[in-house]
Amino acid sequence: MAKIKALTQEWLDAYKAAIVADPEYKQIAKDWEGSVSLICNADPGKGIPEPIYMFQDYWHGDVGEFVVCDKAKADSAKFVMTGDYSRWKQVALKELDATKALLQGKLKMKGDLPYVVRNIKTVNKVIDILGAFETQWPDDPE
Amino acid sequence: MGYDSDLSFNYFGPTKIIFGIDSSKDVEIEMGPYGGTKAVVVTDEGIIKAGLIDHIVKALGTKCVGVFSDIPQDTGVEVVDAGAAFAKKNGADIVVSVGGGSVIDTAKGMCMIITEGGSLRDFNGVQLLSRPQTPHVVIPTTAGTGSEVTNVAVIMDKQMGQKRLIVEHFNIPRLAILDPKMTAKLPKLMTAGTGMDAMTHAVEALHAMPHEPITDGLAIHAIRLLSRYLPLCVANGNDLVARGQVQIAATMAGWAFGLSGVGNIHALAHSIGAVAHVPHGIANGILIAECMEFNIESCPEEYALVAEAFGVREKGMDDMDAAKAAIAAMRAFTKKIGHPQKLSEMKVKENDIVKAAELSLGDGAILNNPRLVLDASEMLGIYKKVL
Repeated sequence: MAKIKALTQEWLDAYKAAIVADPEYKQIAKDWEGSVSLICNADPGKGIPEPIYMFQDYWHGDVGEFVVCDKAKADSAKFVMTGDYSRWKQVALKELDATKALLQGKLKMKGDLPYVVRNIKTVNKVIDILGAFETQWPDDPE
Repeated sequence: MGYDSDLSFNYFGPTKIIFGIDSSKDVEIEMGPYGGTKAVVVTDEGIIKAGLIDHIVKALGTKCVGVFSDIPQDTGVEVVDAGAAFAKKNGADIVVSVGGGSVIDTAKGMCMIITEGGSLRDFNGVQLLSRPQTPHVVIPTTAGTGSEVTNVAVIMDKQMGQKRLIVEHFNIPRLAILDPKMTAKLPKLMTAGTGMDAMTHAVEALHAMPHEPITDGLAIHAIRLLSRYLPLCVANGNDLVARGQVQIAATMAGWAFGLSGVGNIHALAHSIGAVAHVPHGIANGILIAECMEFNIESCPEEYALVAEAFGVREKGMDDMDAAKAAIAAMRAFTKKIGHPQKLSEMKVKENDIVKAAELSLGDGAILNNPRLVLDASEMLGIYKKVL
């Protein structure tokens, strides 16, 4: 299977499909309400000339809109997570624990921390799925 | 002790420490390198009545543009916003906080609003800042919170009905002046309670999931200092040598937990503080041994280090035996310093602990606990044992 280019609409579609296909996700995420945006800061040297904004809608174990979007839509999400390209890649490759990254300032999160903590199993599950499909990263050799 | 092969961490402790009797008189000299020339002093009425502010205002001279002192025991979002408005109105460009945790955390919030504008309620998240904030000089009047060196502020949000945990690397105080005289007037109970806050920071820094060798070193020596000098402070508040060593221990423990995190003791203490207004340090001191019992199977090696620091690890003890000895030592220690043993002594009721147990599952501290916490009933069980 061909690798999917990271941080593209195709990649988000694959991510959504992987979440839907996961046998445990629906049950684990049954209490989660609300959208999450991932913002990847620009890093021209690594193939990210402009920031990339990705909006994902989650609701009680169902998944809705997963789109590459503009800044305004990304900022409208219930939770907005921002980080450098290299950090997102490390999270996806499971080289960096997202919770630890937040506390160390490697990622930023706007949103209600207690809500995230109460639903940490859901958060960990979607991060786990993020690395579940073959991805072509912009700074990796083709 | 061993560490995982994938150990990775950031160590970041940018606060300059000035220690010594009467060092608080040097505040104007020491704040020079940080660029501020218009200082707002942040404190509370108790500190003013105790006569701990006059010499600082005098030392600042014309660089003091005002004193903000309307701060309750548990500070809130509205308090921070009011303090920031006061500072801006007076043109402040540096903040000098003189007090305990509530005062220091208020000042941390004020530094953010002075720099970024808006209300503290706008800062709902983690590590949101992207530039250094208004310089902050801390002169602690308690020895416990360690807030003088951490990136953390705990601010009550009445709208949320919960304490808000603000974590910002760009808002760590630039300078902390540890003057033992500033803690000499603390009453016995406050001395014991704030000291147990420091002890809890040290123990939690050791057992928190992200702990690492540097923070372990700080935590272990903090426990050694506290076990030796905190009883001396409680017995004689004017023992400035002991006061000073406890101040240093609190700062070391602050550095340790500020980087490695805390666990279920703090999650439970924050929550019972929010529900029943139990002072934070006293809540920690009441909960610490029972929380260690809860965690013991997950971190016997770390608690064995606590036993070593207390000097109760005997020859031939394995880690689990030593961990049990640490818990016994902790119980004995809290009794020795006259610390409350039960939440009911702080007027906590059965329905308070039910609410607090639910609340604790949303506290960021619980993420770093060495034993995974899955259900509020587990936390309720701990509360019941110390009710």
